[in-house]
Amino acid sequence: MKRKISVKHWLGLILALSFLVSPLSWQPLQAQKKKQLSPGGYHGEMDFPLSWKRYYSYAEWTKIMHDLQKKYPHLADIQSIGRSRMGRDQYLMTITAKSTGKAESKPAIWVDGAIHGNEVNGITCSLYLIWYLLTRYDYDPYVHELVNNCTFYVLPGFNVDANDSFVRFPNTPNNPREPFRPEDNDGDGLYDEDRTEDVDGDGELSVMYVEDPHGEYKLSPDKRRFIPVTDEREEVQRFRRIGPEGYDNDGDGLINEDDIGGPDPNRNFPYGWNLQAGNPYPLSEPCTRNVYEFQLAHPNIMVTFHYHNIGRLIMFQAPPDVGAKTMSSEERQRYQQMVQERLAELRKTNKYAQLFDRQVAPEYQHDMDVQTQIVTMGARILKNYRPVIAGLVGQHPASTYYMLGAYSYLIELWGSPDFDADENGDGRVSEEEYLKWIDIELTGEGWIMPHKVKHPDLGEVWIGGTPRKHLRRTPPWRYIEQEALKNTHFVLYCASQLPRVEIKEVDVEPVTQDLYWIKVTVVNDRVYPTSSDRAVQLKRAVKDKITFRHSGNIKPLKMSGGTAVLDFQNPQARFTIIPPQGAEFRLKGKDTQRFCVLVQMKGSPGWVEFTVKSKMGGTAVKKITLKK
Amino acid sequence: MIFQRQRETGKSLRLGFWLTLCLLIAPLLIAAPVQKVPISFDRYHGYTGTVDYLKKVARAYPNLTSLLEIGRSTLGRPIYVLVVSKMKTGTTIDAHVTLRNMRKEGVKNVPPMKPYQGKPGHWICGATHGNEFTGTEVCLYIIDQLVSKYGQDKTITQLVDDITFYICPIVNPDGVYNSVEKSLPQRQNSELKDDDGDGRVNEDGYDDLNGDGYITLFRYKDPQGQYVIDDQDPRLMVRLKKGEKTNKTRYSVIREDKDNDGDGRRGEDPERGIDLNRNFPEGWFKDNGFPGGSGDYPTSAPETRAIAEFFTNHRNILMAQFYHTSGGFTFRPLGTAPHTRLHPKDVAVFDFIMGKKYLEIIGEKIPEAWLHPERLNEFREKLKKTSKNKYAIQRGYELPRGWRVSYNEEKDRRYAYGMATDWAYLQYGLYSITTELWNPVKDLKDFPKIKDTASRLELERALLKYQDEKYRGKYFLPWKKFRHPELGEGEIGGWLPGYRNNAWPGEPLREVCEKHWQFELYRATLLPHVVITKATAKVLYSGSGGTAQAEKKNDTFTIKKTSAGSKVKIIEVTAVIENQGKLATHVARGASLAGNREDAVWLIGDRDKIRFLQGTPFQILGVLEGTMKIPGYQAGRVSLERSTTSRRFSRRFMMRPGYPMGMMFFRRRGPDRVDQPGPRRTVKWLVAVEGNPPLKIVVTSQKGGTYVKTITY
Repeated sequence: MKRKISVKHWLGLILALSFLVSPLSWQPLQAQKKKQLSPGGYHGEMDFPLSWKRYYSYAEWTKIMHDLQKKYPHLADIQSIGRSRMGRDQYLMTITAKSTGKAESKPAIWVDGAIHGNEVNGITCSLYLIWYLLTRYDYDPYVHELVNNCTFYVLPGFNVDANDSFVRFPNTPNNPREPFRPEDNDGDGLYDEDRTEDVDGDGELSVMYVEDPHGEYKLSPDKRRFIPVTDEREEVQRFRRIGPEGYDNDGDGLINEDDIGGPDPNRNFPYGWNLQAGNPYPLSEPCTRNVYEFQLAHPNIMVTFHYHNIGRLIMFQAPPDVGAKTMSSEERQRYQQMVQERLAELRKTNKYAQLFDRQVAPEYQHDMDVQTQIVTMGARILKNYRPVIAGLVGQHPASTYYMLGAYSYLIELWGSPDFDADENGDGRVSEEEYLKWIDIELTGEGWIMPHKVKHPDLGEVWIGGTPRKHLRRTPPWRYIEQEALKNTHFVLYCASQLPRVEIKEVDVEPVTQDLYWIKVTVVNDRVYPTSSDRAVQLKRAVKDKITFRHSGNIKPLKMSGGTAVLDFQNPQARFTIIPPQGAEFRLKGKDTQRFCVLVQMKGSPGWVEFTVKSKMGGTAVKKITLKK
Repeated sequence: MIFQRQRETGKSLRLGFWLTLCLLIAPLLIAAPVQKVPISFDRYHGYTGTVDYLKKVARAYPNLTSLLEIGRSTLGRPIYVLVVSKMKTGTTIDAHVTLRNMRKEGVKNVPPMKPYQGKPGHWICGATHGNEFTGTEVCLYIIDQLVSKYGQDKTITQLVDDITFYICPIVNPDGVYNSVEKSLPQRQNSELKDDDGDGRVNEDGYDDLNGDGYITLFRYKDPQGQYVIDDQDPRLMVRLKKGEKTNKTRYSVIREDKDNDGDGRRGEDPERGIDLNRNFPEGWFKDNGFPGGSGDYPTSAPETRAIAEFFTNHRNILMAQFYHTSGGFTFRPLGTAPHTRLHPKDVAVFDFIMGKKYLEIIGEKIPEAWLHPERLNEFREKLKKTSKNKYAIQRGYELPRGWRVSYNEEKDRRYAYGMATDWAYLQYGLYSITTELWNPVKDLKDFPKIKDTASRLELERALLKYQDEKYRGKYFLPWKKFRHPELGEGEIGGWLPGYRNNAWPGEPLREVCEKHWQFELYRATLLPHVVITKATAKVLYSGSGGTAQAEKKNDTFTIKKTSAGSKVKIIEVTAVIENQGKLATHVARGASLAGNREDAVWLIGDRDKIRFLQGTPFQILGVLEGTMKIPGYQAGRVSLERSTTSRRFSRRFMMRPGYPMGMMFFRRRGPDRVDQPGPRRTVKWLVAVEGNPPLKIVVTSQKGGTYVKTITY
């Protein structure tokens, strides 16, 4: 190194050069036609008018999907991923701007609703997401960019047979929940032979009581409910509880003891599957198998959402707990205390802050950090929703994370109407407060008064004293959109955090007059990494890769790779040397990685072009010119 | 193709062969003159031949058989199950209970059951691995025996009347088709998968380089090769041990194959897919939560799923046999987990009953302990001194060669992940076994004694010599020079695929079939058989009926007639239900598995005319024991079994969805339970009947059959 390096001389030129190189975005954005920036302006809602004040039957919501697709063919595709047990198509909508690339080439978010037949709120929520994305694409710059850069796979109704039954026929809030695989619940050798029936023909499935001088129930003073008799000596008309409305179909003396059923579809997925919960075998149900096969075939799915009711929970998947195995109970206690203290500290400045009692292996720490960041924002966007770590027993999200490496969230929509109904502020809604809520907020809509009916097996029965459908598990119409809107926002937030690789800067540091280090900084400023820790462990992750090309007069020095220290004052800041075939790496969330090449240039000018390719984070290209 | 070749090479052999065949078959013909669909075992049937035979049998014996397509392979070939059972006998509970006031929605998700589903079921299948098609032949042999001896042989006639055989000769149609029809050995199923990620599917598999119709081997000189020529028989290639040095010429040996897509690799994207016997849901995951079995998830293969779905919908199956090759022994459960997951009672059934019979049939020594189960403790003490196998010590005996588990008990290591036999036992409660058919040393007549039985090379030498002498060398293709497009000069030759690990057609195959048919025949006779041996009705009261009211005045009641009515009787109905079969109606923990249930009995009549005063219309009987005393098992544990079962039942019953929220634990009275031990139950009802409605008792046991008896009174 005899030649003197004239750093100052080059510095000006390099600065000038870096101005010349315009920042290339990862996907070419197109001009937005009807951009609306005013929060009070028109955002496209009436381009496709749709009521969010009711629940839709299968025929209706699938028609809405098809109509939306027809109206926005450049953004949406519709396909049947298979058929349910009873032969209904499971329609899936793929949303992405076709002009910016194929759906499979972009990182994707999966959203499904109502895997449990009765939790049809998931249908409205995912349908709302579709509608929101499509109608706002032209108006809303936030939506516009997300639809350009990511893919949304939305399956509004998962368990379509039970979904349709729940919406169209009289049902309790808890039924039908499962796909319709025949099951013998009572062990009498017959399958699904004693189902519920709407005895009084009012379109609702309430509870039956019979008059019985020794019964345990009486009518409440307002005659709206059946309440337990607390004082044995009280002289009052008493009732015995029979159970949900229905007949004894098979003549065994029991009513509704073998309702339509089958395995819980959310225990039917392969990861953590067990026979008693998820029988008869993993993915035995057409609806679950179709979904999983689709997800297997679409490795670009990075995030999955699964809508359920109820409880207002963000149940996210976290890496395995190693602390539980390795720590003593004392250590465990200390750790839990530490978590609580740190959380209290964090909450002083952000009441939505989250921290979880889970110690994970070092190779999974990033997944844990990513999930914590995401659900912290989720807690803020969804307000009264509580993030918790989800279960592993054959649940769908467990398989999407543990077998496919996608970040998964099971959202328990809706819950107690305490925000409106809790009069005394004790955090709970008593029966009285609940009834008041029905009277005031729901203007009296939704209660079945006890009434007498003739029953072929029981003689005279009383039916009623319960809310109508869509009150307890699924929100009444007045609350549908409020729930759907904030959940759509959370999905969009996650989409906005899908990885994006950028070449932040390229710098040149001459060693001699014709030998230069070229330094490249690659950045992912999103929360999600280009592949999850779990995907890496599963060997499903595709690595990111940086390569470079150069003009003929430039010759890179052949080096086998490894890292180099370029700043001698800071030996920690290492640069990865890019070998001629390129370097593979993995960009985590909010991650910066530095690379370098040592090149020799003869004559002038010359150019070097760097390309970063990431399966999930897109492609970034940057070219610089060198002049002597 | 194969068979043409055989005919060319062995004319005189063929003649002698036919003569012996005639002599062998002659007595059979006399005993069974009604072989409406003739079948020979002088050649392998392959997929096409098997399907053809099944269809012919189904056509010829409509009263005894029913052909079901239970699914399709990846490439769309149907998977068939032939049901063999007297179609006119048998009944199921759904044919007797009339349902009324049904939900208006009218979802029709429950298909009516077939009468044969009301009999105990015996599943026999072959060729889960496509290249192990001896099992297919055994299945066809069993079908032939059952249908052609029905009406001739008393035992068989009774079995076909009383039980249902589900015979699936080919679980893996694509594997068998390739292995037999195309002479391309394929253990796995086929999969339309782009293995090498080049955008094309299955474009580079094995190739018949010399165009002789077989995929054999190609050997070529290679200084890095791992093989040398055997000193004793230059046709055999001997694999060198790791790091072993040699002065001999080194060879590499590959299957006949070339690079079809020009990517520099051979056979990197073949049609073969996944191993079906690693695709079942039991023990598919490793302990660390990563997949251990084959396929993307358990039952991902259409073939595996077809089996799982069939077992789910045919809960009457209690016996199951999954034939594989080779070795001439049987694997009883388990392979994915240690033996301790088996209930001791099932261990006794497997080893002392089935295992003993199996060893008798294949002519191997029966362990001392099996002959003297009462001395098990003594044997345990002895083993403590000699054995390192803790499971053997626990049992009191080492498992013999011929009847064993695939779990490595000494190293405490599982054999593989996701195997069918374990799955069928642990999740469906079946007496499932896997017989590895074909042990040439035993199954070939006059086969010379081998000094070192563990040595594969010794066996190969002897086999080669044997087939030279007795089969004119037709199963081994002599090495012939061939110029490989990529590897240059070398030779093609070796065992014809299919004959290395399958019973050789003709007498050896027939022997294998006969032995294993005898074993399955024995297992079929163990099946439970639930019947109503006695049903009586005692009329306690017979009167005019009508309605009346009692009016109370002080302590005096005055009865007043309110309306007239038809005659009323109070009847005490007593039924004695018995399991006359040898084994209980479930394996030890079988009734508690999801999808299985305990035995139950119904009293059925016109609902509007019967009132149940005592006893619920259907009553739960628990699990009916068999008539056979299980050797080596103390019945002290029965109470434990029952308690686990009933706990499960009540929980499922109470927590069913269908109740409004907050009322999930609402209690109600379930059906009565008849808690009596042993194979017999006495059940009583007290009913009030109006008029003379017919009454019938239907006992319904999932695996012990459904039986109906009408009562007169």
